[in-house]
Amino acid sequence: MVDVLSPTTPDQLRDAVGWALGSKTPLEVIGSGSKRAFGHAVLADTVLDCSKLSGILFYEPEELVISARVGTPLAEIKAALAEKNQQFHFEPGNFPALLGDDVVPDAGTIGGLVATNMAGSRRIKVGAARDHLLGFEAVSGRAEDFKSGGRVMKNVTGFDLSKLMSGSFGTLGVMHTVNLKVMPCDEQSASILVTCDDPKVANTIMTAAMGSENEVSAAAWISSADVRLLDIPVASEFGGGLVALRVEGPKPSVSWRSEALCTALGQYGETYELAGSYSQRLWQFVADVKPFVCASDKPNMLWRVSVPPASGGAVAERLMDVTGGRVMMDWAGGLIWLQITGSDAMAQQVRDIAGASDGQAVLVRAPAKMREGIAVFHPENPALGRINAKLRQNFDPEGILNPGRLSPPSAIGEGA
Amino acid sequence: MLRMPEPDQHTLARRKDIIAAMKDVIPSPGGVIVDEDQLRPYECDGLMAYRQLPMIVVLPENTGQVAAILKYCHTHKIRVVPRGAGTGLSGGALPMADAITISMMKFNRVLDIDWDNRAAVVQPGVTNLGITRAVEHKGFYYAPDPSSQIACSIGGNIAENSGGVHSLKYGLTTNNVLGVEMVTIEGEILRVGGKGLDQTGYDLLGIITGSEGLLGIVTEVTVRILRKPETARALLLGFNSSEEGGKCVAAIIAAGIIPGGLEMMDAPAIKATEDFVHAGYPLDVEALLLVELDGPQVEVDYLIERVGNIAKDFGAVYSRISETEEERLLFWSGRKNAFPAIGRISPDYMCMDGTIPRVRLAEVLAGMQVLSQRHGLGVANVFHAGDGNLHPLIMFDANKPGDLERAEAFGGDILKLCVEVGGVLSGEHGIGVEKRDLMGEMFTADDMKHQERIKMAFDEDQLLNPGKVFPTLHGCGELKTLHAKAVADKFPTIPRF
Repeated sequence: MVDVLSPTTPDQLRDAVGWALGSKTPLEVIGSGSKRAFGHAVLADTVLDCSKLSGILFYEPEELVISARVGTPLAEIKAALAEKNQQFHFEPGNFPALLGDDVVPDAGTIGGLVATNMAGSRRIKVGAARDHLLGFEAVSGRAEDFKSGGRVMKNVTGFDLSKLMSGSFGTLGVMHTVNLKVMPCDEQSASILVTCDDPKVANTIMTAAMGSENEVSAAAWISSADVRLLDIPVASEFGGGLVALRVEGPKPSVSWRSEALCTALGQYGETYELAGSYSQRLWQFVADVKPFVCASDKPNMLWRVSVPPASGGAVAERLMDVTGGRVMMDWAGGLIWLQITGSDAMAQQVRDIAGASDGQAVLVRAPAKMREGIAVFHPENPALGRINAKLRQNFDPEGILNPGRLSPPSAIGEGA
Repeated sequence: MLRMPEPDQHTLARRKDIIAAMKDVIPSPGGVIVDEDQLRPYECDGLMAYRQLPMIVVLPENTGQVAAILKYCHTHKIRVVPRGAGTGLSGGALPMADAITISMMKFNRVLDIDWDNRAAVVQPGVTNLGITRAVEHKGFYYAPDPSSQIACSIGGNIAENSGGVHSLKYGLTTNNVLGVEMVTIEGEILRVGGKGLDQTGYDLLGIITGSEGLLGIVTEVTVRILRKPETARALLLGFNSSEEGGKCVAAIIAAGIIPGGLEMMDAPAIKATEDFVHAGYPLDVEALLLVELDGPQVEVDYLIERVGNIAKDFGAVYSRISETEEERLLFWSGRKNAFPAIGRISPDYMCMDGTIPRVRLAEVLAGMQVLSQRHGLGVANVFHAGDGNLHPLIMFDANKPGDLERAEAFGGDILKLCVEVGGVLSGEHGIGVEKRDLMGEMFTADDMKHQERIKMAFDEDQLLNPGKVFPTLHGCGELKTLHAKAVADKFPTIPRF
């Protein structure tokens, strides 16, 4: 039977980790568990459930900061921000929906969001969760309280552990409190659509837009097969793939920049300006990777390939050729979602193609059996792997926090 | 007085051998500096109150040489102090009597501009402004702009995670660096990050940035470059109290406006700068805000009007909008010359660097006045109001016995006040030696040990920049020991299911 520990206070959290340390009991650390199927299965029979460490501690819109316990539902936080017309600038999408069935919007907790370093389409401009985490408090695998950072925007006091904890999947410490930077919502947002079927041309268009003065905050390419899933009248009229570019800001500025982009990009295809709720719907579609949400019992694999943005088109084309899969590009080409249907994840081919372009590939979704045999995360360079292993060892010497989460069973001990 | 680790006599006794070994690694003339008069310029960085002659200085020319030097130092257990342009304000490059100072200033080339990926690959000795100079002909720039940008190196910016006046909107160094090549103390060459946005494993790039030369020596840097905004305009707004000024800042941000720059000065700073550069600042206000909006012309014109209206509602008694680029630069010239302006009216000054929650500004300024009287020294304030980063300039005379000590005590008290109201010791200058012994104000012993455990993963023998950042150096053995607070297997307070 799985034993579940549900601390409700930071002190209880420390006691729980202390007990696990003393008894050498490995723990699977979870918030709501919405991203539990991401990464490898944790080799632990005891669950450390942080969802009861919940609640917004303070939210000061004029100071652009929110502080919350890690188990606070993302939906609760987003609602509080929306009330003051603010947002997380890194706009995380509904990632859990890629992993499971019937996932509600804004599933998950704020702690899980930080621990997995999520980011949406605006990453190309403003970064990921790691760029917005101002500080945290945690208990390390040594059952000791530690904190780093603070609640202010600008802080270089000591090493920046907020970066280290973001994306560490709970393998260094268990955070109980996070302080994040928030930003105002823009007065207006609009999208420029350019018809384009070819991923390489799409990449050229996105590169041109990003290099212009028009402060494009997101750039994505949706193939013709997936455009029809986009419930927007004009998109289906186009009848082909499209590049979507987003501009945000004060109203007059958005109109001016939209027009400038249409003029500049007219040479590549037909352009169209999408405003209001249709524009929002489009970016939600991209952030949520809607085309590749599918029932979890289907034999299909979802890869997240990250490359230098200007290589995205060529890499996407090669991935499609080699795997026969479907792709969608975000981050102006820097992120390629690749869905492969079939029984073979073609892991090595995908990794080789990504690696050849200074990129990396992460297997986001695959049947459990397959995830046991394939490294979900892109293999580390051995020199970095050694440092990562030492960090892990120094923060969690007994290996009680999420053992196995980052490496498949066969590779345990070879890296972090 | 600041205590540094005791010089290692064994190392000092081997100085000749070390020099010979270094000359083998760097054969070109001038690559190894050993004479006292030539070592002198390296005895301090921008924190000039602390000086120490280095054992020797080396100026490697390529990554291979850096690797060979560090490998030698690791084998022979010789301490190393990395140094960029030497403009740092917290003493991060303060030499040690038994350490080799490694100056990275021969790494001064721009290696590649990748316009399509909007990235510049440069050597660490390239100046901050040098990156912008290399890309501005195509309308690009590098966003973080510390006030030393004409002289400071990008390698130093990585070490300190430097900020600047535009960081609220454009972020700090850490948000604008994409990758580095770094040599470890073992002489291993690592590549961390790159032009893509994700990295494998833990976020080592994030931890290297701002690590003050304690983890390795960066030999190549990839930064993000941005298109320069089409235009920029600035407003000068005067208020009868800093409290009103602070409220106006909050109101601007609450209205959803994130200005490119948002600076505040108090009355002593306004007077000193106006006397110095004649920027046309009003002398009858207690607080002056400098607000810069950047972007397309149409956006800037629209926002400047909105900010002007907000200021009116929040009691601005003075308002002026820049009508020309010359006028905008004139507005900035006062703020940018605030430090030398104070230097004109006081024989010496000490620049502090705390960050506070903006809402506590009035309280902190009032507290500072009390401290000013208690310590008998004047203080002027410039403030990155957008992000809460405060630069109190403490005025003193180093030639007066006891003045420096009083200034340091005053500075320490100011930083303690910052921490008390929920702020931090340093917003952008780093800890170095200057604020090292104040770390305990913000961090517990366990907090600091966890930071040191990162150090241990990179530099177990603590050879890289010892005596910086951490007030007490714990031995690696001690840091590795598990103080297993093994809690009894029953703990009834935790709900179990």
